[in-house]
Amino acid sequence: MKKIGSAILALSFTFVFGAMVSAQAPTDPQIVGIVQTANRIDIDQARLVLKKSTNPQVKEFANQMISDHTSLEKSVSDLANKLGAKEETSHTAKQLKQQAADESKKLNTLKGKDCDREYASHEVAFHQAVIDAATNTLIPNAKNAELKSALQGAAPLLQGHLQHAQQLQQSLQGAGSSSH
Amino acid sequence: MRQASPPVMDVSPAALLLCGTCLAAACVLALPFHLAAQTPPQPSQQIIIIKQMHFEPSTLKVKAGDRVEWKNEDIFSHTATANDGSFDSGLIAPGGSWQTTISKNGTIAYHCRPHPNMAAELVVAQPGGRTQHKVGGVSGEEGRISLAWSPPKRPEEIHPILVNFTAALLPLALLSDLLGRIFRRQGLHTSGLWMMVYEGAITPLTAIAGWWWRSSEADQLPAKLIMLHQWLGTAAALLFIVFAAWRWRFHRRALPPSWTYLVFVFVAMLGLIYQGSLGGAMVFGQ
Repeated sequence: MKKIGSAILALSFTFVFGAMVSAQAPTDPQIVGIVQTANRIDIDQARLVLKKSTNPQVKEFANQMISDHTSLEKSVSDLANKLGAKEETSHTAKQLKQQAADESKKLNTLKGKDCDREYASHEVAFHQAVIDAATNTLIPNAKNAELKSALQGAAPLLQGHLQHAQQLQQSLQGAGSSSH
Repeated sequence: MRQASPPVMDVSPAALLLCGTCLAAACVLALPFHLAAQTPPQPSQQIIIIKQMHFEPSTLKVKAGDRVEWKNEDIFSHTATANDGSFDSGLIAPGGSWQTTISKNGTIAYHCRPHPNMAAELVVAQPGGRTQHKVGGVSGEEGRISLAWSPPKRPEEIHPILVNFTAALLPLALLSDLLGRIFRRQGLHTSGLWMMVYEGAITPLTAIAGWWWRSSEADQLPAKLIMLHQWLGTAAALLFIVFAAWRWRFHRRALPPSWTYLVFVFVAMLGLIYQGSLGGAMVFGQ
């Protein structure tokens, strides 16, 4: 069931980010908006999980997400200010926010290990979707060279988060089930 | 009328003096090599920079006992965590740093805990540099010494042996000729002549062994040091052939060597001492 849930989750993110490809190519301010929205979503969900989880591994991961994505958000914000590319909202950004709100509701209803596992699965799917979107849509469409380079520079961070999230997911799966 | 005694005593003091000075000079010359071999090299501090989600350099060669410092110049917090658990920095905040002393030999792979895709390694050699190599048949690993003798075959064994001849013959040739001039003893001049001839013959072999060593291990040697050492060594080999020819000319004319020759040899000897210190720095560490 969990695997099916994760697969649906991954598909839904892929759909949202994938929709960007079919829609009009995002402008630089829209790209900044999408990146910053994704950063804030990850920070907010980590904060939510920190309040609920007692698992030290999950807490460590959530703290790391807050720290890394706050740093990334600041660096993107500094760059956007420098380039005069004030972030703009877009259909994609709105959809991402809506999905994040749904996910937060779901996390709120779950407790203990179920909440931890849902969070880990979500982080795997979310980071995978962000990496795909950055590679296939955001980087190719970025007009400004500095913005393009900054997005390329963020790829190893997202890849690192994805691997860490996958490790966390595996470790939680190995810890036995409490859902029944 | 009593016949004058044969000039036996005339040779003996010169021979004795020569033996004595040879022995003393050999001891003095051997001392730096001996001390370098006996004194453990001072541990050094090595720095790894963390930036843009990478450890730089990704492979760092260190000696056991060295201190290694990780400086975080990235905008994210990172850790330096050994895969085998031998060290873990904990989170190093941006702008922060952490250091540890490496005591284990071999290759230590490490990574960043929050970002498992950041991986790098330390290649740790024993102090003295060459854990896997045997020098002159004496092998050392983890402090165990085997004294089993085997004939030198590799350049790292042959070069240090030949270097001793190069290092000893030049000052002794100089000393013999110098004393020969002071005491007016032909025997000392003969020693000076032949030692310079041997020097001219052996030093090219020393240089060839050095080049051979360099070609097999160039990447493991400090680039600037080896560059200077290899060209000084080649120049020395050529120069000593010239010295040998020069010295032979004095012999053919049945003259003692001139002061100009002696000054040149003295200056070359100072150069050779510097050259030896470069070689020692590469083998035994700074």
